Amino acid sequence: MLKTERRGGLSIRTKSTLTGWSFIIIAVLMIAGFYFYPMIQALLLSFKTGRGVNLSYTGWSNYERLLTDKTFFTALKNTFIYLIVQVPIMIILALFISVLLNDSHLKFRGFFRTAIFLPCVTSLVAYSVVFKYLFGSGGLVNTMLMKLSIIHAPIEWITDPFWAKITIIIAITWRWTGYNMIFYLSALQNIDSSIYEAARIDGASSVKQFFRITIPMLKPIILFTSITSTIGTLQLFDEVLNITKGGPGNSTLSISQYIYNLSFKYTADFGYAATVSYSIVLIIVVLSLIQFRVAGERK
Amino acid sequence: MKKVMVLLLTCMVLLAACSSGGKDKEQAASGGGDSQSKEITIWAWDPKFNIAALDIAKEAYNAKHPDVKVNIVEFAQADIIQKLNTGLNSGTTKGLPNVVLIEDYRAQGFLQAYPDSFTDLSGKIKADDFAEYKIGPTSYNGKQYGVPFDTGVAGLYVRKDYIEQAGYKLEDLQNMDWKQYIELGKKVKEKTGKNMISLDPNDLGILRMMIQSAGSWYLKSDGTTPDLKDNAALKEAFSLYKELMEANIVKVNADWSQFIASINNGDVATVPTGNWITPSVKAEASQAGKWAILPMPKLPATPNSVHATNLGGSSWYVMNIPGSDTAADFLAETFGSNADMYQTLLTKVGAIGTLKEAAKGEAYTQPDDFFGGQHTVSDFAKWTAEIPKVNYGTSTYAIEDILVVEMQNYLNGKSLDQVLSDAQSQAEAQIK
Repeated sequence: MLKTERRGGLSIRTKSTLTGWSFIIIAVLMIAGFYFYPMIQALLLSFKTGRGVNLSYTGWSNYERLLTDKTFFTALKNTFIYLIVQVPIMIILALFISVLLNDSHLKFRGFFRTAIFLPCVTSLVAYSVVFKYLFGSGGLVNTMLMKLSIIHAPIEWITDPFWAKITIIIAITWRWTGYNMIFYLSALQNIDSSIYEAARIDGASSVKQFFRITIPMLKPIILFTSITSTIGTLQLFDEVLNITKGGPGNSTLSISQYIYNLSFKYTADFGYAATVSYSIVLIIVVLSLIQFRVAGERK
Repeated sequence: MKKVMVLLLTCMVLLAACSSGGKDKEQAASGGGDSQSKEITIWAWDPKFNIAALDIAKEAYNAKHPDVKVNIVEFAQADIIQKLNTGLNSGTTKGLPNVVLIEDYRAQGFLQAYPDSFTDLSGKIKADDFAEYKIGPTSYNGKQYGVPFDTGVAGLYVRKDYIEQAGYKLEDLQNMDWKQYIELGKKVKEKTGKNMISLDPNDLGILRMMIQSAGSWYLKSDGTTPDLKDNAALKEAFSLYKELMEANIVKVNADWSQFIASINNGDVATVPTGNWITPSVKAEASQAGKWAILPMPKLPATPNSVHATNLGGSSWYVMNIPGSDTAADFLAETFGSNADMYQTLLTKVGAIGTLKEAAKGEAYTQPDDFFGGQHTVSDFAKWTAEIPKVNYGTSTYAIEDILVVEMQNYLNGKSLDQVLSDAQSQAEAQIK
């Protein structure tokens, strides 16, 4: 060590700092170049208006337009409906399934785990297209429900404003429950079984064990999954575009899809699209702060 | 420190290798070289229609210019739009094609958003050689940018057998208006149990056809001012659409494949749409002889509405990148003037062009056995000449998305005047 210090003429402290930096410098440069630089550019873009390349700075006009944009508020409302309905359902479902699958007496555990996790490895577009056909007006779901005499006329899963939302919610729940379940499973395996044993000796029922031990122990993971799910839902795009195209009449339109429409479907207005994107950033920041407040650990 | 340097150097070499590799590929894709380059790339969608047409054009061109290499690349239309938008905005022309197909409804949007990115073809082709209504969308500031390709002239495809079962004869239906069409639909439903029409609530194509038949559009003739609130034709089209829906003669579809399925399965009695549907209708060979094509119904209360209108249709554009001379030459010699080639296009692909000269050719006067020996192409050619010219402007799809929502509100009971004035104010905020 001393030898190298003399040769390089650097103190150990400087040298170790340099080594540290050199390890992360590539990552830092890449992140700065591919994340932060575009973010700043997008922010600047959100103050410009114009078609295609004919952009010019127009101050706050895009933000003013945002506040009076009916379509934006419809997209926002839809996204929040997905969020409020779908995220809790999915989290609870994932929690429930993971506790069931964590039971060491259960046979074929590996099979069930794989089966429930499998939706996550499918491509978003592929599964959306399959769902679209399953829920088509003459699709498998309707045929099954009719054969079982649960309904008499086919439900318009895709073309009715109410059912279309339900279809989207079912689709994303199917796709992402297994993903969240994996987090819970790994966290459950980290809970010391002696805690449960002690609880059993003290006479705690399984329901009580679940609410008094499992849930509190999983709290950080629940927080993590609910934040990632919230962000995921706010960025919802593939499913809506492929299953309903945002219809009927914008009733399933998500914010991301609106941004896509503004940039690519209509005559390109990248300035305003960037403004709408920044509104999502703002919403995610606020929601994450709230979630930390509500569920975060007091430190 | 040495190791760090080695690592950094390796990274740089690797990155350089990757990026130069990418560059080579891109250059190959975009033709590379100067404007005289002998290799051009063309983007289009629909393998059965546009790509097939391109293959024929390529063959015709290569017969005279064997040294030019033509690369035809197929993308979905949405992908082409996205790639063009991102490519043109990024400021680099690498990776862009020499020739691209753009739908007429979107053409003005591209021409105005990227004014210097397309090549002026005024000196290469004559606008007068093409159907008049195609010139509006393909030119900008007095310059001709697009080579008009297929016509979107619309006809009413009808199932003869269903109509006859309902007690009508084809001859009675030649000059229908939409009110009579709805009455006919109710009769057909009553007698055959079949729906009259298949509609996608997200696609107001039928509305566009209705208003263009009266020379009206979502925008005023300047192409930028929304014309929704006081547009009499649109107002009538809205109420007809609602009537159609409430008559319970509509089979709702959610996408293109369901739409085609409803035709091929015999679920609907009529299909009012662009002539480009012909190959899809004919795809179900067992229905040969059961179909006929009638003139489009017109708006009953709007006096200048005619029995001819348009849906879709697209044109070729040359991008202002290396290779543009060759590309312009390719288009000028094929789609821009070659009337003989259009005969092949029609017989092999079923594509009806808008080059006036082509309509005089032999193929355009042939009867079609699938449609009971009807001279379908000459009928379409006749209607093409009658299509009212409108300025599609830049915002067809932006406004249509607003109208789709307001249409739902209207169907759910909101008053028509309120619906249109709401749509008007939203459109005004959207289009600047």
